[in-house]
Amino acid sequence: MNPRNRELVLLIPALFLTTLGFALVYFQQRSHEPDSLVYGIIFVVLFAIAHIGRRFLAPDADPHILPLAALLSTLGIVFIFRLDDQLAFKQAMWLVAGVAAFILVLVFVRDMKMLYKLRLPIGILGVLILLFTAFLGNEINGARLWVTIGPLGFQPGEFAKILLVIFFAAYLVDIREVLTVSTRRILRLPVPPFKYLAPLLIVWGLSMALMVFMKDLGTSLLFFGALLALLYAATGRAFYVLVGLSLFAIGAGLLYLGFEHVQTRVDIWVNPWNDPQDKGYQIVQSLFALAAGGLFGRGLGEGYLTFPSGNARIPYVETDFIFSAIGEELGLVGAVGIILLYLILAYRGFRVATSASDDFRRLLATGLTSIFALQAFLIMGGVTKLIPLTGITLPFVSYGGSSIVANFVLVALLLRISDRSGTAGGLVAPPADNGGRKKWPVHAEVDREVDRKQRSASAKAGE
Amino acid sequence: MDKPARRLFIFFAALFVALVLQLTWVQVISAPSLKIEPTNTRAIQEEMQVERGKIVSADGVVLADNREVDGYFYREYPLGSLTSPWLGYNSIEKGRDGIERVYNEELSGQAGRLAVTDYWDQLTGQTHQGADLQLTIDMGVQDAAVKAFGNRQGAVVALDPNTGAVLSMVSTPNYDPNDLEETWAELSVDEDAPFLNRVNSGLYPPGSVFKVVVAAAALELGKVTPETVFYDTGEYTAGGYVVSNYDDKVYNEHDFKRAFRSSINTTFANVGVQLGGEALAGYAAAFGFGQSPPWPLGGAESSFPDPDDMDVAHVAQAAFGQGEVLVTPLEMALVTAAVANGGQMMKPYVVDMVTDPGGAVMEQAEPALWARPISETTATTLTELMVEVVQRGTGTAAALPGVQVAGKTGTAEVADAESHAWFVGFAPAWNPRVVVAVLVENGGSGGSVAAPIARKVMSAALKR
Repeated sequence: MNPRNRELVLLIPALFLTTLGFALVYFQQRSHEPDSLVYGIIFVVLFAIAHIGRRFLAPDADPHILPLAALLSTLGIVFIFRLDDQLAFKQAMWLVAGVAAFILVLVFVRDMKMLYKLRLPIGILGVLILLFTAFLGNEINGARLWVTIGPLGFQPGEFAKILLVIFFAAYLVDIREVLTVSTRRILRLPVPPFKYLAPLLIVWGLSMALMVFMKDLGTSLLFFGALLALLYAATGRAFYVLVGLSLFAIGAGLLYLGFEHVQTRVDIWVNPWNDPQDKGYQIVQSLFALAAGGLFGRGLGEGYLTFPSGNARIPYVETDFIFSAIGEELGLVGAVGIILLYLILAYRGFRVATSASDDFRRLLATGLTSIFALQAFLIMGGVTKLIPLTGITLPFVSYGGSSIVANFVLVALLLRISDRSGTAGGLVAPPADNGGRKKWPVHAEVDREVDRKQRSASAKAGE
Repeated sequence: MDKPARRLFIFFAALFVALVLQLTWVQVISAPSLKIEPTNTRAIQEEMQVERGKIVSADGVVLADNREVDGYFYREYPLGSLTSPWLGYNSIEKGRDGIERVYNEELSGQAGRLAVTDYWDQLTGQTHQGADLQLTIDMGVQDAAVKAFGNRQGAVVALDPNTGAVLSMVSTPNYDPNDLEETWAELSVDEDAPFLNRVNSGLYPPGSVFKVVVAAAALELGKVTPETVFYDTGEYTAGGYVVSNYDDKVYNEHDFKRAFRSSINTTFANVGVQLGGEALAGYAAAFGFGQSPPWPLGGAESSFPDPDDMDVAHVAQAAFGQGEVLVTPLEMALVTAAVANGGQMMKPYVVDMVTDPGGAVMEQAEPALWARPISETTATTLTELMVEVVQRGTGTAAALPGVQVAGKTGTAEVADAESHAWFVGFAPAWNPRVVVAVLVENGGSGGSVAAPIARKVMSAALKR
């Protein structure tokens, strides 16, 4: 089966789940208008367009990523519909915008060279967006993430995230040689010249500043985590990761001592039961929801996500805490299912990186995948009290326009990278385009490994 | 995958595995303890979706009903504070008390065969209905008792001595269960304990109503007959402790009948000392002292001191219900019911019938014997003595026209405050249909304060 038809087949479960989900919510909450099936239709049309767009624009791209995104956004909109049908309509509109953004990225980003060449403006734009948010943003739910223009609220951080990953990837391609082949050594460890390290230190400073000025621990962790993943992917040296983690630990420690809101976050994490009615309320309610779900969940629409008055038990249940809602109604089984979807998506993302035709693509795919997986982990870990809670969205599932559109852009970029790598359908398909490789530094070891695997796979296929 | 990508993937996979372990911890292993956290109100919300059973009085008045809003049932108590001391409350925020608490399994449809229909209703998505309760409480008697008691502080209990069925319970001060959420903060710190059902949980010195127990012991053991002669000088000294009579009266020569009728403390101290602490404690225990009331609503244990710790002064004091003797109004009513019912004490009960939503009877109360502290002969003699109390003794205010009433007054001394006024009695004396115990905290004299209340309650109960 070619990757396009494979994707079409894989989209069927998402369609099935949407219809089933909406039907369940509809039958459970008899007060609803029979508009649930309308969402099913919107969903079918939307992902049919996305699929057709990808058929023409990126025919050899990875066939698993779009169905995974479809499944996750299906689950998201079903749960949002279950919580608040008007919000679900808005989310449906955001999905339309997201698919539009997906198509637009596939249309306009035909060539990765363009992104590489624009690395500096892209990086500056990313930083500007963050600064803009830091100074002009509104503080909602304890973090300054939102910029309001007219009736619309944005979370520019979601877009800055992608822009900065593009920039990091391109920049690391430039300085990779210097980082790996360094002559200067301190304590037998290679230390590259300061001018190459400076941008990395700037990113570190930026992350710390994000925490202080935007009170946004989540986004700062994301940037820093993505940067470390990229450093490691670029150099293959754990040394940089260790240095990065130490820097982050030192910075986080200083922030903990110096800033009350960081302390509060950590204290709530350590013991939310000290103040279960106020400061610890959200996380305690989240744990209650998960406990109510048990192994198999209470069933879609059967959970006690709202009080009898109709108010949500957990504030921000449709954004930050949607995973807790899923845990209550679908149980451990459903929640682990969601985790597996993210894991598979991460796996496909790293596969795309591995089979990328050049270093920039490889690093970009690595960075995008890392930041995506890390974001999913941070919020799921936060609401389950595995790690301190940071207010970020669960990609594709949470309610929120910026998040949805940004993640569709991210997925579109991954598809574009995988299309050019020419190994979309798996290992069997031969590399489609070797021409691009020569233009940028090439990771020879990777190429050898890919070639070896492809040869052995081809040999098997030929038997 | 190449090495860095593989390692990154393994790293993220490890994070996700940690997440799965944490989720298992929260959702499966620690879930049972999370579900019963006090701040977790999910269980209550779940129960609010059950159409809780109605509670109806013996004469068909609805005492607890539901108001449905968007599939949730909110409890309503049409009679408010009139029924709150024993009906209790069922509140989302404040939990449960009284009959609502004790019979929650029946009311919420978890008991017996309703547990099966609950499972079926959950499967089919239908509203689950709880069982209805029919009480033994008669609202005619309850209304009369509440009106007669007025705004005093204390308790009234009326019951049928033949069965133990409780006809009325008054406990003041109390509360309106309909606006508990708003008044809770104030009520919970109120020193007058409005949440306490004084009938079965209030402990008081019994004063002279305890003479019923002492007389029962003396008659049963043959220490006295109604005709036994005593001589009163106005004082009786036991172990250096001087007993005197109410209002410092001096009765000179009199028989035991007179001693009971006029509640002569000196003679009862004398009789008590002759009986000894051991015998008094034994009879108190036979009447149920030292046990919780034998019904599901529970309550405080009435207590008589340990005879090993009593010197003769203590015994003399206990013999007229002072010192360390403490009783609940319910216990005194049960003691009186033993006299009324030929020496047989029936277990009290307040729920007559449990019916399923279809009206079929799930449980029907069966009158049951609790204890047999005295013989029928002793009971008859005691009844004669108690009739005299109302005819021409301290309890004349309890007399009813055309009906012979038996009773005993009590004026229990309290340190640094007005005495508690007591009356226990039953009517008609030779065919009892109602027993009543009245306690007015710091009310003064039993004969003038408690007896008239008892009269009105008995009158209402006999009109049933």
